Amino acid sequence: MEFDEMKKIWDAQNNQPLYVIDEKALHNRIQSKMNRALHFASINEWLLIMVNLGAGGFLLYLNRFKPNIFMYVESAWMFATVVYLVVSRIRRINASRLFDRSIHGDLDHAISLVSYQLRLSQMVRLNLFPMGAIMIFSGWEGGKLFEVSLVILVSFALAFYVGRRGDRVNKRRKRELQVLKEKLETGN
Amino acid sequence: MTEKEQLDTLEEWLKLHKGLIFKVVRAYTVTDHDDLFQEIIIQVWRSIPGFRQEASVTTWLYRIALNTAIKWTKKEKKYAGAETLDNIQHLLQESRTPIDERLTWLYGEIYKLDEIDRSVALLLLEGFSYKEMSAMLGISESNVGVKINRIKKQLIAKSKNYDTHGI
Repeated sequence: MEFDEMKKIWDAQNNQPLYVIDEKALHNRIQSKMNRALHFASINEWLLIMVNLGAGGFLLYLNRFKPNIFMYVESAWMFATVVYLVVSRIRRINASRLFDRSIHGDLDHAISLVSYQLRLSQMVRLNLFPMGAIMIFSGWEGGKLFEVSLVILVSFALAFYVGRRGDRVNKRRKRELQVLKEKLETGN
Repeated sequence: MTEKEQLDTLEEWLKLHKGLIFKVVRAYTVTDHDDLFQEIIIQVWRSIPGFRQEASVTTWLYRIALNTAIKWTKKEKKYAGAETLDNIQHLLQESRTPIDERLTWLYGEIYKLDEIDRSVALLLLEGFSYKEMSAMLGISESNVGVKINRIKKQLIAKSKNYDTHGI
């Protein structure tokens, strides 16, 4: 066979697709991604609710022995965060009923779950600033400004860093899901 | 560029050029078609903001697809067997339309070449010039010429076996 003939054989494939996309496999993959996103969102919510509730309650308890106005503000802020998280969780669960069980519906649901996690994570990170400020004021009030501020700032910086890393993972997952959606829309 | 514009571009490129990506996928893997396909699509998506229209879309896509396939092949060799359950179920299925046996043979022979020669063979069959191949693969035009000569000779010689024995 001469090379020109090989070229003709090669060019002939342009008229027929080499592959077709297996929709059932695609649906299974999307469902697995959606279930994973659902699982992570739920764990995240519960973890944040428990941490804020526990820390807020603990601060309130400590305040009984040495009352400090900033500590009251801090614990009130944490309880408000818990309320926000509970409301977000209820809204998320209600919104999940709006997606149908088709490939598109599951994919949109998975994308919305990852977006929700990103929003939640951003909120938690932004929340670190007012909480850190109140903590510093509280340390100031108690007369241990430097040591307390330093420990608080380092802990918050660490939490901020870890949160950002989590965001990067979620952004990548969201992008993959969007690409999958494009593939689904153009692959038929 | 907004995310929406990026997605629109990806959608348009996939509609028009997905066959090109299929060719690269088929030449670079025997079993993990959908995994490599997905990896190429993700890299194409990431590359969209960097596309400056200095090259044609086809050239750009080939460049991305081949570079991804070469890197992917190396990574696969390194992490063979590390496939997750999520990736096992294949998204792509071979088309049911009968495919010319000689084309299957050709893909098989291309697959036997090393990663760079595979790229050269694909681009050669797609009709790219030496200059374009050199720019896409980052090797000199003379090196492209040497590789093309060798690949052509090799393919022609093997095709004689195929013509004679059907193998």
